[in-house]
Amino acid sequence: MKQGSAARWVAAIAAACCALPALAFDLAELMAMLQRNQSGEATFVEQRFVKGLDAPLTASGTLSFAAPDRFTRRTLKPREESMVVEGNTVTMSRSGRSRRIALDAAPEMVGLVEAVRSTLTGNGQTLERYFRPDVSGNAERWTLDLVPLEPRFASQVSSVRVGGTRSEVRSIEMQLGDGDHSLMVIEPVRLTTSEPAKPPGAEASRP
Amino acid sequence: MITAVSPRSRGALALTLWLAAMALGALLIARAQFSADLSAFLPVSPDAQQRVLIEQLQSGVAARTLLLGIEGGSAEQRAQATRTLAASLRESGLFEQVQNGEPGDWEAAGELLFQHRYHLSPAVAPGRFTVEGLRDAIDETLSLLGTPAGSAVKPLLERDPTGETQRIAEALIPANAPRSENGVWVSRSAPRALLLTVTRAAGADLDAQAQAIERAHSAFAPLAAQGLSLQASGAGVFAVQSRAQIEREVKLLAAVGVAAIGGLLMLAFASLRALAVALLPVVTGIVTGVAAVSLSFGSVHGITLGFGSTLIGEAVDYGIYYLMQARPTVGSTPGSGWRRWRDENWPTVRLGLLTSVCGFAALVFSGFPGLAQLGVFSVAGLTGAALATRFVLPVLVPDGASGQGLRRPLGRLGAHAVQALPRLRGLFLLLGLLSAGLLIAQGGQLWRGDLNSLSPVPRAAQELDSMLRADLGANDAGTLVVASGADQETALRAAEAATQRLDALVEQGLIAGYEAPTRLLPSQAAQRARLASLPQAAELRERLARATHDGPLNAERLAPFVDEVQAARERPVLTRASLAGSPLASAVDALLFERPNGGWTALIPLQPGSADVDPARVRQALQHLHGDPSAGEIQVVAVADELNQLYATYLREALTQALLGAVAVVVVLALHLRSGRRLLAVCQPLALAVLLTLGGLALLDVALGILHLVGLLLVVAVGSNYGLFFARLDAEGGIDDDTLASLMLANLTTVVSFGLIALSHIPALSAIGRVVAPGALLALLLAAVFSRMARPRAPVRR
Repeated sequence: MKQGSAARWVAAIAAACCALPALAFDLAELMAMLQRNQSGEATFVEQRFVKGLDAPLTASGTLSFAAPDRFTRRTLKPREESMVVEGNTVTMSRSGRSRRIALDAAPEMVGLVEAVRSTLTGNGQTLERYFRPDVSGNAERWTLDLVPLEPRFASQVSSVRVGGTRSEVRSIEMQLGDGDHSLMVIEPVRLTTSEPAKPPGAEASRP
Repeated sequence: MITAVSPRSRGALALTLWLAAMALGALLIARAQFSADLSAFLPVSPDAQQRVLIEQLQSGVAARTLLLGIEGGSAEQRAQATRTLAASLRESGLFEQVQNGEPGDWEAAGELLFQHRYHLSPAVAPGRFTVEGLRDAIDETLSLLGTPAGSAVKPLLERDPTGETQRIAEALIPANAPRSENGVWVSRSAPRALLLTVTRAAGADLDAQAQAIERAHSAFAPLAAQGLSLQASGAGVFAVQSRAQIEREVKLLAAVGVAAIGGLLMLAFASLRALAVALLPVVTGIVTGVAAVSLSFGSVHGITLGFGSTLIGEAVDYGIYYLMQARPTVGSTPGSGWRRWRDENWPTVRLGLLTSVCGFAALVFSGFPGLAQLGVFSVAGLTGAALATRFVLPVLVPDGASGQGLRRPLGRLGAHAVQALPRLRGLFLLLGLLSAGLLIAQGGQLWRGDLNSLSPVPRAAQELDSMLRADLGANDAGTLVVASGADQETALRAAEAATQRLDALVEQGLIAGYEAPTRLLPSQAAQRARLASLPQAAELRERLARATHDGPLNAERLAPFVDEVQAARERPVLTRASLAGSPLASAVDALLFERPNGGWTALIPLQPGSADVDPARVRQALQHLHGDPSAGEIQVVAVADELNQLYATYLREALTQALLGAVAVVVVLALHLRSGRRLLAVCQPLALAVLLTLGGLALLDVALGILHLVGLLLVVAVGSNYGLFFARLDAEGGIDDDTLASLMLANLTTVVSFGLIALSHIPALSAIGRVVAPGALLALLLAAVFSRMARPRAPVRR
């Protein structure tokens, strides 16, 4: 082989390698982008399609999270209920009863919580621990596919698809093991509160 | 010679009696039961809360829990190992429960629970099956569908649309369950797989506990070959290890003690015969003591045996006194030395014995069998040793020990010391004042030793235990609500009343949850009330149609629900017997049992929330529940508090008894000495020795407990002998070298034997040793310091 052609090959491969990250949007980039959100609030509308029921089940409420490990899902309609996750503790309240359990004692719960919490907070390491993640699309409009690894959770949920634009999570779709599926559409609550008001005359007092 | 025959036959009689007594004692000891459990250190007449606690400690599930951890290898290897080990342990039949996070056990139980869901679900109440109630319950169930949790609900939807199964399951999942990985329990803090087992055998049955532990280790042996290691902990492991340790140490201490003291005696007497004779009162004392304890208590505690080896130190003194002091005066007939000892020294030894017995007699009346055992052992042992000295030694060696050995140098050294020591009187008084100041400054802080300080469990084992407990969420010293009643039904009803109030505490977040037997076995009344709220088929069908109208769930699909509700109406209520054979039975039995003295108890262990459970708040929440005695009784027991209180009571009682003992000693001395000045002469050095010993311990920041107190009693017992000898010799105007040498040798053996005990790994024994060794030395030293003898006189020559 001639020296010249080999050098060209090396150059081409090197160029391709350098160019790739710029072309494809990957998990690391997505996570880095999401990490910028230290906290957030959103409203959601969830539709669940259950075989054997005459109509889809609809629920709506609010979501909120705060890095590193707080996540709350509060359903307001059709019934009030809530799930508050803080670190390893999950508190679930329904019909006036609440109970607290250790998150990691229930692997199926871990999957459910981490699919949302780790995505919202951009915790790629945790996502990769419980799922096989696959990112497609671009920063403007991306899709994160999560295939569960934990056997008990995997028997309940075959895949989770999270969709979003830039650093906002906009939808979570869940394909359940028994063929049912759900779609949650998320509308971020943009904090419209203006900058803290400056003391009157702050500007004027400048010499 | 008639006069010569009489003593000889009396000697023969004494020997025969002694041999008979020893044979009887040996027989009693051979038949004695030896124990090493905590129960000997629990009160005999406890109050209601203590009784619950003691029952729990002796036979409760906590006493039967064996915690296992598997370390080493990969996560998969460990997961596989816990499955293999759990299967093997379940098969062994030695365990009532073997849990490692596998669902196995509960699958079988699940069917029984499902069948009886309308008996068990707390949601089943009159309002539940109205149109409104049905709609609400079905809505709640629907809210789970289409979520991962729905996969458990969906298959049961047509039979259980109101979600009763879910309600039962919810309550059974503990708030502090262990972490689950690969389908088995693992630690949160270390690469370790976990198992929680409960033995069938009672916690107090140490042989059976040892067998269960051994079984776990042997089942694990093939896995250990893969590089995995097994850790075991729990009350049973501690008890078995402690028993082995006590046995080992008691044997070792006895052997080393006998060897060391034997060596000293050989040096002193240079005669094997003298050595054997000196040890005879010791052996007599131990045999008498153990036999007396076995006779009066039915069993002998390991700690009492350990204490036995400490008695060597005091009982050997009697032999030494005799051997050195029973020497014929010049010119008297050989074989008459014992008479001189009997006339001159025995009254002093007898008085010393009497004071010791008074000191320990106070313990005999202790409400705690462990302490009472120590008292009986000491009183019987010392009396036996003294009687053997008085009646058997004169027959065997009428003229004491003939050899010289160290006797002369010891005597000379003593004589010098007696001359010099009184000069230090001021120094010792000053030290005494400093000690008193230190003790007053420390005040109540001084006696702060707790039950843990008695525990022979090494720190590493305690750490492993708390680690495994944290991993498993298995609290050992939590807070319990105890519901009791004359019969099982009353106890269960009381428990139900209590859990209703506890639910409010869970809502408020004061506790994370609780376990209750009523979740698996509600009272008959509660079950009948639930069944009574189930409507007839036709009515239910009609209400269902209205409740599901407009809803996504069609009433037609719910025909199986209507049938099953009808079937439930006919199904008999659950009883303890109907649970038999399922894992539910052992889960119920752990929390519901008949008390040994009649009546039933239901236990409700509370699970702490983010903070520790506050027993006062729980008590407040449960107030007014126990107005009607026929409705059962409710108590809140904070196990750790209760144990500490128990120990505090124990300590207070022992302190009072020790003071009474000290008063008795002074009274006996006063009656005998009949002179305030002589009484002071005996008591002053003794009191100062106790004061200085306490001061030293306070200076070293030792947390003093009951066994230190027992040690101080021993110091008084031993020291009073020294004081009495000095007081008598003071009165006679001088001291002879032989008596002085015997005191010094006796003191040396005491200090050596207690010094050895001070090195023991059993806290109970080392505490005694660390008090008595310095205390006894000080007692002799101070007896000499405060002696009023001007100068020693020459050995008696009358």
